[in-house]
Amino acid sequence: MSKPTRLRIAGGTVFDPANGGGADGVVRDVCIEGDRIVAELPASAPRLDARGMVVMPGGVDIHAHIAGSSVNHARRLLPEEHAADPVAAPRLEDGAVARSGTGGTLPSTFATGYRYAGLGYTTVMEAAVAPLAARHAHAELDDTPIIDAGFFVLLGNDDYLLRQLAAGEAAQLRDYAAWLLGTTRAYAIKIVNPGGVAVWKGGGDRRNVTGLDDTLGSTAVTPRKILETLAGAANALALPHPVHIHCNNLGQPGNAATTLESMRALAGQRAHFTHLQFHSYGGAPGKGWASAAREVIEYVNAHAETSVDVGQVMFGPATTVTADSPVEHLLYASSGRKWVNVDIELESGCGIVPYTYKEKAAVAALQWAVGLELFLLARDPWRVVLSTDHPNGGTFLSYPELIRLLMDRAYRDERLKGVNQKLLAGSALLDGLAREYTLGEIATITRAGPARLLGLKDKGHLGTGAEADVTVYANDADRAKMFATPRYVIKGGTLVVEDGQLRRAPAGGRLAVRPAYDAAVTKDLKRFFDQYACVAFENYGAEPVA
Amino acid sequence: MTDRTVVNVTCLGCGCACDDITVVVKQDRIADARNACALGAAWFGDGAVPAETRVNGRAASLERALTEAVRLLSGATRPLVYLAGDVSCETQREGVAIADRLHAAIDSLAATAAAGVLAAQRRGRAGATLGEIRQHADLVVFWGVDPSARYPRYGSRYAVEPRGVAAPQGRKSRTVMAVDVGESRGPADADGRVAIAPADEVDGLGMMRAAVQGRAAEADARFRPVVDLARRMTKARYVAIVADSEPGPTPADPSRAEALATLAQALNAPTRCALSTLRGGGNRSGADAVLTWQTGFPFAVDFARGYPTYDPRAGAAALLGGGEVDVALVIGTPATLPVPVATGLARVPTVVIGPRASAAPFQAAVAVDTGVAAIHEGGTAFRMDDVPLPLRPSLEGARAALVTVRALRDRLGA
Repeated sequence: MSKPTRLRIAGGTVFDPANGGGADGVVRDVCIEGDRIVAELPASAPRLDARGMVVMPGGVDIHAHIAGSSVNHARRLLPEEHAADPVAAPRLEDGAVARSGTGGTLPSTFATGYRYAGLGYTTVMEAAVAPLAARHAHAELDDTPIIDAGFFVLLGNDDYLLRQLAAGEAAQLRDYAAWLLGTTRAYAIKIVNPGGVAVWKGGGDRRNVTGLDDTLGSTAVTPRKILETLAGAANALALPHPVHIHCNNLGQPGNAATTLESMRALAGQRAHFTHLQFHSYGGAPGKGWASAAREVIEYVNAHAETSVDVGQVMFGPATTVTADSPVEHLLYASSGRKWVNVDIELESGCGIVPYTYKEKAAVAALQWAVGLELFLLARDPWRVVLSTDHPNGGTFLSYPELIRLLMDRAYRDERLKGVNQKLLAGSALLDGLAREYTLGEIATITRAGPARLLGLKDKGHLGTGAEADVTVYANDADRAKMFATPRYVIKGGTLVVEDGQLRRAPAGGRLAVRPAYDAAVTKDLKRFFDQYACVAFENYGAEPVA
Repeated sequence: MTDRTVVNVTCLGCGCACDDITVVVKQDRIADARNACALGAAWFGDGAVPAETRVNGRAASLERALTEAVRLLSGATRPLVYLAGDVSCETQREGVAIADRLHAAIDSLAATAAAGVLAAQRRGRAGATLGEIRQHADLVVFWGVDPSARYPRYGSRYAVEPRGVAAPQGRKSRTVMAVDVGESRGPADADGRVAIAPADEVDGLGMMRAAVQGRAAEADARFRPVVDLARRMTKARYVAIVADSEPGPTPADPSRAEALATLAQALNAPTRCALSTLRGGGNRSGADAVLTWQTGFPFAVDFARGYPTYDPRAGAAALLGGGEVDVALVIGTPATLPVPVATGLARVPTVVIGPRASAAPFQAAVAVDTGVAAIHEGGTAFRMDDVPLPLRPSLEGARAALVTVRALRDRLGA
């Protein structure tokens, strides 16, 4: 047996919020043996001189769209983006095999892994996978190197769940959720526009739900009931990550009221509300927009059981890709861009529209400001973490620019002057928010916080026993430049980025849960499948079959 | 070996990828493929496949065949990899890795539906998985296609007959309309039918879209039946338009595919509509999906520059026809190759690894027979609507395509 790899990252300024250290970091060594952080190593162990550099745990992305059927539909839609951003195979050490690909807002799988690693991220959660396409998502993640990844499986618009709720059989749904998580090898439960996608798919006059108490067929079935049932199920199953919620009315003026009502509906129990920026608007449909960021974030500040990621909008190209298909139809109608819709049998939807956020566009400027307000008014960075809802608000490659906006007030104020001011009247940004994130806080919102919210105990920190996922940055006053090009990235003890170059590309791991359930539920499910599904019950999910 | 029965087997005979086949094996042969249509039963056959390994037509060891394949492929200046039918996504992934390593061009059977894919790349598309059409469609319009010929169970499993959550009476809950485009006729048992001449088809679709969008001028008499149909579609709750993406009696017209796509999109303003594009079998949809996730492009990909580029006009048939290719690698059943590709391959040294490789319609430089995905080999395949399905092999003993292609990949250092 070969000796485990050892490495001492010596003399860097370590930002490890989970283990204390504060805003200024602590100058200390970080020792790695095999794939874990260890307390100490012999003096003879290989050293990596990190003096003057910033050392953090590897980045953890709590919400991104990187793999699976929706992402692949979007890739197929955008050949022009891929043609404009070719990715040659990286030259790895010892001539190891590497793969070429393409970038754009939805990079090919290999390019996704390489680029995330090149950014210092080592763990990424794919945020929306329809159960029917789980097998596809796993196949893509198998082709996504370096990063550890898992996915959230879509629930909350599925006919089985709606039917059980209508029949007053909510109790059985905990077993159903547990079964589904296991059979699809998913990590958490995702709800997208509860009930709204089912209404859109059903055809007829109604296009969507408008609020928490709209009924779906039966008065027993409402978005509120769906939220309560699935949040309750996730918590009763003690899943590492609570229910991950994309609220109703995404992108609509006045939707902050729905968002707050959704949060209140789940007050007292753990719940994660995703891409909050897209759900924090004042105003009213047809009557204009305003920021309601302060109202929404004040609720979050006051409720320790509630967590969010921001879903910041960044100026430039994006692609909106979501299971919230009625919203995408609206965006198609208003933008005139090309549009994909795929209704997914018995469970979910998929909508895609390419989009560009422009500084000079009033709504885009408002969205940009709302996101920054949420960040800057947040009191607890452990519960308000960084995302752009990649690639919906901007791609993951824009994270360094976002970090600069948060850390550098002068830069932020300068950028603010250049954006359309029309809808910013009520924005706290105009009141001169002076806050500048510290490096410690950045380490929290990009590593320690998301890892804790995901229940990944061995990630997002550099304590003894943690996974040896480490990023080392050359300190630079230009934080965008600093965070865009880490000097060293270590994944599971392997030095993947060396002197800013990708040098190794090991396979990433898979994050999944398999909660226990009462197998009686599968009898009822089998009946449902035999009656309505056109995939055999035994072929559903993502388990190996032969 | 014992007789056995394998249930929930996926059939790759056409793009329907029915996964309810019960395969009965007796004395190492398929005795029955229950639930399969005639086309499916023929695809399964008795499961017998040749097990030859040939170099320049002569029997050879696998070692010798792979060595020769490596010699040819690594010496090529303009190699082409072609993903043919009847291999799993896992095998296709190995094939793309080889093309990446060789800086080769790569294409697949998915290119047969190029017109539809290109239309979707220009405009997007409004679609649904087949099961969702089953759940919701109350008006199904077959546009110049009767699926019973090439997609025999499409009607019985998906769009028409079965009960759905919003179609409690199955067929009786739906209205089926046939649009006959010249000789391309819709189903005989439709509830109603309209006709349009092939020369008027694209204009007719444009008129329909205009009517749906409420901007119709007074329609010419030629277009009145389809415009009336369009008005009827706007009054349905959920419309499915079914059209064939594979080449038919008339050459695929790119503007036709685009007109169908935009009509289906427009119908989503007054009501809901999904366009269901029929695609052929052999897991060609899997090749499309794999190439897209690994390269960003669905077919006609070229790694010549060291990264993937895309030129839909320069797919395998064009490269072979232009005499550019000097060595080719076919992965899959050669009998599934489109005629222009097979013809072109006859002119260059070609390595074939796949089911019935030794029976290729051209003299292969290297032919390695393997088993058939879903008969001898497991893995994953995609239905025509991009739904992934597991494959359950029922027969043993054939050489696995995945292992063989992976062995070639390893030898090529890919």
